[in-house]
Amino acid sequence: MSTVAIPVGARPARNPWVMLGKGFLMALLVSAGVLVLYPLIWMALGGFKSNSQIFSDPFALPNRWSFDNYVAAWNLGVRNFLFSSLLVTIVSTITTVFISAWTAYGLTRTKMFGKPVIVGFVLGGMMLSPTVALVPLVQMMQSLGLYNTHWALIILYTAFRVPFTTFLIRAYMLDLPRDLDEAAMIDGASEGQIFRKVMLPLCRSIIVSCIILHILFAWNEYLFAMIFTNQIDVQTLPVGLTSLMAKHGTNYAEVFAAMTISALPIVLIFFFTQRYFIRGLTEGIGK
Amino acid sequence: MVGLTLKQVRKNYGNMEVLHGIDLDIKSGEFIAFVGPSGCGKSTLLRSIAGLEDISSGELYIDGALMNYVPPSKRGIAMVFQSYALYPHMTVFENMAFGMRIARVNKAEINRRVRQAADILQLTDYLDRYPKALSGGQRQRVAIGRAIVRDPKVFLFDEPLSNLDAALRVATRIEIAKLKQSMPGTTMIYVTHDQVEAMTLADRIVVLRGGDIEQIGSPLDLYRHPANLFVARFIGSPAMNIVPAVIEATGEQTLVLLASGERVAVPVSTPSGLKSAPVHFGVRPEDLRLAEGSGIFGGRISLIEQLGEVQLVYLDVEKVDGPIIVKLPGTEVIHVGDVIRLDVDPQRIRLFDSGGMSVA
Repeated sequence: MSTVAIPVGARPARNPWVMLGKGFLMALLVSAGVLVLYPLIWMALGGFKSNSQIFSDPFALPNRWSFDNYVAAWNLGVRNFLFSSLLVTIVSTITTVFISAWTAYGLTRTKMFGKPVIVGFVLGGMMLSPTVALVPLVQMMQSLGLYNTHWALIILYTAFRVPFTTFLIRAYMLDLPRDLDEAAMIDGASEGQIFRKVMLPLCRSIIVSCIILHILFAWNEYLFAMIFTNQIDVQTLPVGLTSLMAKHGTNYAEVFAAMTISALPIVLIFFFTQRYFIRGLTEGIGK
Repeated sequence: MVGLTLKQVRKNYGNMEVLHGIDLDIKSGEFIAFVGPSGCGKSTLLRSIAGLEDISSGELYIDGALMNYVPPSKRGIAMVFQSYALYPHMTVFENMAFGMRIARVNKAEINRRVRQAADILQLTDYLDRYPKALSGGQRQRVAIGRAIVRDPKVFLFDEPLSNLDAALRVATRIEIAKLKQSMPGTTMIYVTHDQVEAMTLADRIVVLRGGDIEQIGSPLDLYRHPANLFVARFIGSPAMNIVPAVIEATGEQTLVLLASGERVAVPVSTPSGLKSAPVHFGVRPEDLRLAEGSGIFGGRISLIEQLGEVQLVYLDVEKVDGPIIVKLPGTEVIHVGDVIRLDVDPQRIRLFDSGGMSVA
């Protein structure tokens, strides 16, 4: 075997093609970043401008940095929409992830009669189109007295997202060694304790991914929110913002401010959790 | 006192029966090894004792109490897994304390027992570490520590050394032997496919094949008096040499004609009914020596494995399939291609009938 001596402190020779490739890649990534970020920034800046400046000078910085539009949007109903969105998102996230994790545990770790059928049944829920189910669902919610309440959305978001979330967590749990639950069983842990103290901590990264995925879904969901709620104090942000646009369609500055407020939480969540999010998904899919 | 009793224990997976009615009495404080080739049911038997597998029929008693329907944690057992099965999100201390925390043992007691076990296993400096920061040997010691703190009546080991490298395996084997000495009242059951582990550790060995017990006995018993051809071949390394033969004369002494053409008188009496019956003539590699006279058979050396102290000599013998292996002193000067004659102490010869059962 021969070794190549590299002088101490010397850099490896630069290949112009590699440099060019790297430069090109960098340019591509920067353009992609600008493409995604610019509309968001433009929207946020629009919230600081006056309505007339938006039309006269759409790409300039605001003349005056004032939060008037944001305050106005907040008082026009964004406060209510934000509260509804937060409530529905948080509660449905908890219920969905908890139910899915328990279901995945049951489907991967217990002996039961006809398990493949049950797995098919649960995961088959992913195929169900929400649009097709709308009419019966409306009737069902009305007869239960849940129509036009936060509960309607919480229940529907949970029901429609449990299959997919279960699918992700189940795939992850299938890869966890059985020895661990058996060791816990010998240590005297009950099923509930094995789930809480052994399985859940081990599934942390996929659970975080599922939480983020569900938040993204519930925060942006429009169809159910539009159909099952019709009052300002129950409506969530996507529906509320549409009605705001309909009512105040001429005042773009306030609409931009409202949109910025609604997008902010989700952008922040993603920003702080993207590490978990990406890791959990890749681990869950192919370890 | 009987520590553990199995009566006609059977285990089915669907239509396939993997344990065919196992009967076994294990005394309290005994160290038992289950050995056998892959798929012989030894792990299944261990897991049935642990309660991780249901018993399809038959009875299992620990300390005289029926255990068939008792959950694993209430059987008074502790198990060390092949994969260690340490909880990766818990420190060494938490791993060992987990069972006691579940059982709501008070903190001072947990602390005392974990530190005592850590002391025995030299893990005191590692109590705050996570399993991923430990070496394979340390992980296995933590797994053993987790079992010790349970203060079990029966200690179960499922191939605990098979994930360790050779040097560590020997060291950990010695640790397990010491552990056994320090816990004389604890019954230990040890599953392995490595007969050296079984021979060195066990008071008695249970040889399993295809879901049946082939023989139960002390290591030396199995080695000197294998009940059948399977045990004879399985115990001992290199394996016992087997040469086809025919009984020519029965009586006080048995005269056999080997496939290689030689006649050997074996000092055991056989019933006259066995005259001209085909048998298997078995002799261990270490019982063969270079003959001063004509010996019992001979052949040409095809391969020599020099191990220093001894050398393993592979001999091609006419009309015998496969080589005859001889263990000779390392100082003996021989070469590949030499023709040598071998002799044996007739007392050491074993005969097996055509069904493989021991005749002598």
